[in-house]
Amino acid sequence: MMVQLEVNGELRRVELVPDELPGRLRAVLDGEKETEIQAHLLRPGVLSLHIAGKAYRCVLEEGPEGTVIHFAGTRIPYRIDDPRSLKSRRSRAGRHEGPKAVTAPMPGRVIRVLVNKGDEVQAHQGIVVIEAMKMQNELKSPKAGRVIELRVQPGGTVAAGEVLAVVD
Amino acid sequence: MKFRKVLIANRGEIALRIIRACRELGIGTVAVYSDADRAALHVLEADEAYRLGPAPAAESYLRGNLILDIAHKTKADAIHPGYGFLSENANFAEACEKARVKFIGPPSSAMRALGSKTSARQVADSVKMPRTPGSVKGLASLEEAHAVAAEIGYPVMLKAAAGGGGKGMRAVFFANELASAFAAAASEAERAFGSGEVYLEKLVERPRHIEIQVLADEHGNCVSLGERECSVQRRHQKVIEEAPSAIVDEDLRSRMGEAAARFAKSAGYTNAGTVEFLVDEAKNFYFLEMNTRLQVEHPVTELVTGLDLVHLQIHIAQGGKLPFKQEDIRLRGHAIECRIYAEDPENGFFPSPGKITRLLQPGGPGIREDSGIYEGWVVPMEYDPMLSKLVGYAQNRNVAIRRLLRALDEYVIGGIRSNLNLFRTILRDQDFQSARIDTGYLDRLLAAKTITQTSAPEREEIVAIAAALFESMKPVNGDPSNSPVNGRTSNWKQAARREALRA
Repeated sequence: MMVQLEVNGELRRVELVPDELPGRLRAVLDGEKETEIQAHLLRPGVLSLHIAGKAYRCVLEEGPEGTVIHFAGTRIPYRIDDPRSLKSRRSRAGRHEGPKAVTAPMPGRVIRVLVNKGDEVQAHQGIVVIEAMKMQNELKSPKAGRVIELRVQPGGTVAAGEVLAVVD
Repeated sequence: MKFRKVLIANRGEIALRIIRACRELGIGTVAVYSDADRAALHVLEADEAYRLGPAPAAESYLRGNLILDIAHKTKADAIHPGYGFLSENANFAEACEKARVKFIGPPSSAMRALGSKTSARQVADSVKMPRTPGSVKGLASLEEAHAVAAEIGYPVMLKAAAGGGGKGMRAVFFANELASAFAAAASEAERAFGSGEVYLEKLVERPRHIEIQVLADEHGNCVSLGERECSVQRRHQKVIEEAPSAIVDEDLRSRMGEAAARFAKSAGYTNAGTVEFLVDEAKNFYFLEMNTRLQVEHPVTELVTGLDLVHLQIHIAQGGKLPFKQEDIRLRGHAIECRIYAEDPENGFFPSPGKITRLLQPGGPGIREDSGIYEGWVVPMEYDPMLSKLVGYAQNRNVAIRRLLRALDEYVIGGIRSNLNLFRTILRDQDFQSARIDTGYLDRLLAAKTITQTSAPEREEIVAIAAALFESMKPVNGDPSNSPVNGRTSNWKQAARREALRA
């Protein structure tokens, strides 16, 4: 079977060809690099891979932000890239176009609002400070532009995923 | 009197750690919990469990009267407060005394004398314990602050009398900064602790934070159990603690230990407590404050002394005498603790509560992990973000560092972000490895280095293959896939299916 993926932001094509023996297979990476693999799933999400005499532990994490593989102390995000899906086509066409929202990554309380509606802001400039888990955190602008919407006030509470401001 | 039952007025890893100690001693346990913690491990593992209220601490873990009611109802002989919440609340300790439920900690009188930083400084003077120059009372006005600062000389530190955790604290380097810092520290202290009292002390440059663990019984005996160095801090919060300190020799240890024990005894202190010091580059030590409770970092002391501090706390609270003398205390090996938090060091240390969807915990020689988490646990946003304490123990500091690095590679926390990579960065840092640390060390390291992970092309190739294999195992339109990986179809199921079809 053929799987198209975006690994750490790069497009990858992996063809998996099963062998006679269980757990053995060949993988063809990007149509050229061929490797012999032995794979064993220990429990859901925990995969043992043997490639060219070396043993690797790959752990799958599935969360609200997408899929990630934990490998040798690093987290590497990936997503399945189906060329027919609308989402994949959209994300491949420029990501920085159009209005972008500043959203609350978790529920919390608004401590300060650092900008006014209509302000010009830089990318990564602080927009709102929220408090959660006894910590104050600055939420930053995802892009340079103008604050076209500001939906919160100091003292208010916000839910996870709530849009706090929009920058265009 | 031997306790039959102890109520644990806390949550998370410390509640579980206390429950384990009680079970080892054959003592029954009562857990209390908020709505956010119904599925927590301390609720699962206790003999009895009672709901306190909604998630916010003020409506649950801080409800002293309700907790005392539950203690009465369950006929608990004692309450262990853990750390945080009610552990340093003298009014609660006093309420327990009046209700004849033993508070596992010091008497409320000692807690009052030592709990406020200004009154503790007065006690320090009375036993001739060195402290940083500065005021021993709250500052009445900005004018007084100017006068004290001019007398001791800049730079100075403004601190909240009721403070802790770096709140209400400001370093002031020049006289013209004092007015705004005074106002800011006082208002921050008012908001955080309900008291705007602040005092001034001389700022010690590049200090190390070194603290002494003491244990006092109710028969006038007090011993010190060596030091812990907690100089690796971020925003005045401890990140790594270790025992012993690389710069403390036998002479300094005995002088600091003796001073700490004398200080604790003078205030009628009993049970476990910690006297914190700043140590300057010339190895002069200055009293900082006393923590009148068991501390987060107590495991490093347990590992190098071979003692169980919670067992001893219970023994002392039952009226027992300390089973050893000062000269019996021997330190052996080196222990280092990492505070694993649900926060993202690659993104401004943003807190990351939520569901732990994947968890692989480390083990093996010399690794102790005190945690209250499991795969499937939802880390609540209402409490502090500590997930676990990962402690490495070995014959020396260098091997303890290597053990921790090995354990960090075994550790996987998925679904939420954690600061595991922060510890990789620190433990591999040359200055940390050489113990060239002070309380500003970590902030300097983080300013110079961002916590990022390295990437390598061959690694991404393996990850691409692994990702493809994981995807191949997902069912397609409800049917099991024909993945080449094992395990997906069980032999038992296949055998059962064959059996079923035969008939």
